[in-house]
Amino acid sequence: MDKTLLTTRPKHDSTVHYLFYWSKEVIKLAEEKGIKVWNLEGERANRKEVESILKKRKPSLVFLNGHGNDGVVAGHNNEVLIEAGENEDVLDSKIVYALSCKSGKKLGPESIKKGATVYMGYDDDFIFIADPNKISDPLSDKIAGLFLEASNQIIISLIKGHSAKDCHERSKRIFARNAAKVATGGSKEYLLASYLLWNAQHQVCLGNQNATL
Amino acid sequence: MADEKNNQIDEQLKKVVIANLQGLSPDLRMHIGSMGEFSREELIDNVEKETEVGTKIIEIQLNFLRSLKDGIFYGQNLANNET
Repeated sequence: MDKTLLTTRPKHDSTVHYLFYWSKEVIKLAEEKGIKVWNLEGERANRKEVESILKKRKPSLVFLNGHGNDGVVAGHNNEVLIEAGENEDVLDSKIVYALSCKSGKKLGPESIKKGATVYMGYDDDFIFIADPNKISDPLSDKIAGLFLEASNQIIISLIKGHSAKDCHERSKRIFARNAAKVATGGSKEYLLASYLLWNAQHQVCLGNQNATL
Repeated sequence: MADEKNNQIDEQLKKVVIANLQGLSPDLRMHIGSMGEFSREELIDNVEKETEVGTKIIEIQLNFLRSLKDGIFYGQNLANNET
């Protein structure tokens, strides 16, 4: 089966604005590796387009960026894209990473029950800290980078062929490394460590731990 | 009397959390999932008022303090939360 990636990248508020830019490097890597990318950005991160591509194109890897809660991942203007009890079956046979708050708590397990191969995400709020002076160039924001570089490691490692479990461990190690760096390096931003640690501790990897792309 | 003691602890914990928050640069913004984006002053205000956001910040700080007590940065497997 050809490797394909579906990614949703809304951009309607400052939070998802950061995710939008930091997910660009993932798309670039995927394309370099010859992976076909279905890039639903901005208004295209809507339920109709997402369901259509999931059902018709059957991407092997799904990277969802957006707000969420226990049972939901959302897209543009917080439209619900995938909801537990409604349409999680569209993730059947897919490896999924949801950079979305809390969806690892209910949507993740329900997706696995309905046939998703892997669901990686967070079972509580995903938190990051950013410098608003860098809003016009989020990729230059080193503070936000401490968080989003660690998050990106999941999908980057999947694209490079590592197992789900390995990707999960690699990402958590980077959160941990960055937490130790700010906590023990004499930085005045040592408090960032508590939020990096939080994200690491609440990252989940459900389903087939040995699955690869 | 137990309630009074718990209230004192809660107030002391809030003071610790607020003191920690005051170490955050006023220029930065914290993005807490779907709760929104907050400045340092807004976070402090939320902690003082024990709002949903404030309670979340207290929880995260308490988690961090417990992790520090468990030696999370001293040769432990931080990524796997092992001690």
